[in-house]
Amino acid sequence: MNKTLKISLIFFVLIFISSCQTSEIEQPEQTLGLFYPDYVSKPVYGFEKNKLTHDGIQLGRMLFYDPILSSDSTISCGSCHAQAHAFADHNMKLSIGVNNRMGLRNSPPIFNLAWHPNFMWDGGVNHIEIMPLAPLTNHLEMNESIVNILLKLNRSQTYKSKFLQVFKKDSIDDQMMYYALTQFMGSITSFESKYDHVKQGKVAFSSSENRGYTLFKTHCNSCHQEPLFTNFSFRNNGLDSVFKDLGRALITLNHSDEGLFKVPSLRNVALTYPYMHDGRFRTLEEVINHYTSGIKHSKTLDTSFFENPIQLNPN
Amino acid sequence: MKKNIFSKIMLLSIATTAILFTSCKKDDDTGGDNTPTKGTVKLEFEHKWGMNLVPFSMGVDIKQPKTGDTLKFTTLKYYVSNIKFKKSDGTWWSQDESYHLVDASIPSSLIISIADVPIGTYTEMQYTMGVDSIRNVSGAQTGALSTANGMFWNWNSGYIMTKAEGMSPNSPSGDYALHLGGFQGEFNVVTVKSTDFGGEVLNVSPSATPQIHLVANPAKFWHTNPGVKTISKIHMPGANAKQAAKDFYDGIFFDHIHP
Repeated sequence: MNKTLKISLIFFVLIFISSCQTSEIEQPEQTLGLFYPDYVSKPVYGFEKNKLTHDGIQLGRMLFYDPILSSDSTISCGSCHAQAHAFADHNMKLSIGVNNRMGLRNSPPIFNLAWHPNFMWDGGVNHIEIMPLAPLTNHLEMNESIVNILLKLNRSQTYKSKFLQVFKKDSIDDQMMYYALTQFMGSITSFESKYDHVKQGKVAFSSSENRGYTLFKTHCNSCHQEPLFTNFSFRNNGLDSVFKDLGRALITLNHSDEGLFKVPSLRNVALTYPYMHDGRFRTLEEVINHYTSGIKHSKTLDTSFFENPIQLNPN
Repeated sequence: MKKNIFSKIMLLSIATTAILFTSCKKDDDTGGDNTPTKGTVKLEFEHKWGMNLVPFSMGVDIKQPKTGDTLKFTTLKYYVSNIKFKKSDGTWWSQDESYHLVDASIPSSLIISIADVPIGTYTEMQYTMGVDSIRNVSGAQTGALSTANGMFWNWNSGYIMTKAEGMSPNSPSGDYALHLGGFQGEFNVVTVKSTDFGGEVLNVSPSATPQIHLVANPAKFWHTNPGVKTISKIHMPGANAKQAAKDFYDGIFFDHIHP
């Protein structure tokens, strides 16, 4: 080969090697999208900065089930958010944290979180990414400090290599931990119910389901709004006339928010018993009985219970 | 002839390579010459106590002149953010990602180093006490804003913008904890502060690191609020947090510049 040609080739090769460090040979992992049917609105959390990847979701799942995130390595997120119960607790009224400490409210299920504008029964947490901060550090729950969690994660070669793979950083920080947990929790969706299949024209409701759907649309849909089966508002649904738990008012400090709690989704509702913020109702029948004959009056009771009382047997 | 073509290809290669090499340079490089165009400014927070501005120390008993309480501080931390300097031509320079956590127990944190300030003469500065509302609602952050700093409420999202804790025999519980925050509505404590340099100027040059001295007075937490016998704990946004933060932030003043 001609010497000049050789030099030219070398230069051409150099062009590619030198064409900026960012274009590493490494292929970035394909980012995933959140699947949802067309009758569902766009989620509020879109994974724009926190790119959803297969490895990221796997890492989040690993963290979710790892008890080292708690102070005495006994409790993981999965301890009180069980997949068999749509990621609500194992039918406990209130959840048990480290040292058998009893929590204050019923563990909510985990699905369709990317659509939630806020979190917790009182809406106190304003972003999906920092949602885990509450259970991780609450002394009644996992009772651990973020500093300690990061120490433990950074001591683990397994975690270090997995975080490096997903986030391309050597040292694990709390943002990476929240991002991974958000990838797992935010990608859990509920869009394969019978309701969804009916919406998609794949199957039809039975006649009794249809009667239930009609009743639902008359009496429940204003708060438990289709297709997510919640409009994420805060309501006093008449549980008490004197409030043991002030609910939303603890966050807003408004008297008009006393006794209001976030409307839960009715998706997977058969799996998530017991019901209400304190788990007081064991069965769905008890819930229906409450709405038909158990509403207690108070100054913040939702007006829909006056205007449109639930009458399941109008005859 | 053949050789000529190769020479042309080679020249082209060299030229392309040169272009690519140049295009990889960082944006903040300044073309040909290497004259530095930027300098560093330091912003020091000095803590002084009470009306007479006596030296303040952590971990020792100190008397609050207004309430008469004896206080021993164990924690004093606060956020300073969005630092800006006004040039003598009237234009402003703003620091990027300008979030700093001052911790009275960590001497190095009392001096905020602000790099890459364009050289020139500056006459005023602006800074924010607290963390702007957008970062309170934007999920997981890093650096000074990381939740590992213990300055983010876990149950009522938002930054604890200022945290003062300690022991006091005047408190019914023997201690006090003021966790001051709130970024919206009537209880918003985020405070933008502006100060001119009182005739002094801030000369930013590559050869010197001027140091701006601000004085903060932790006795001001009780300027309006009653003593720790009445309010020993503030754990959420509200009227008490707003008052204590306002008084503390109002009490921060420009002292001098070390050229």
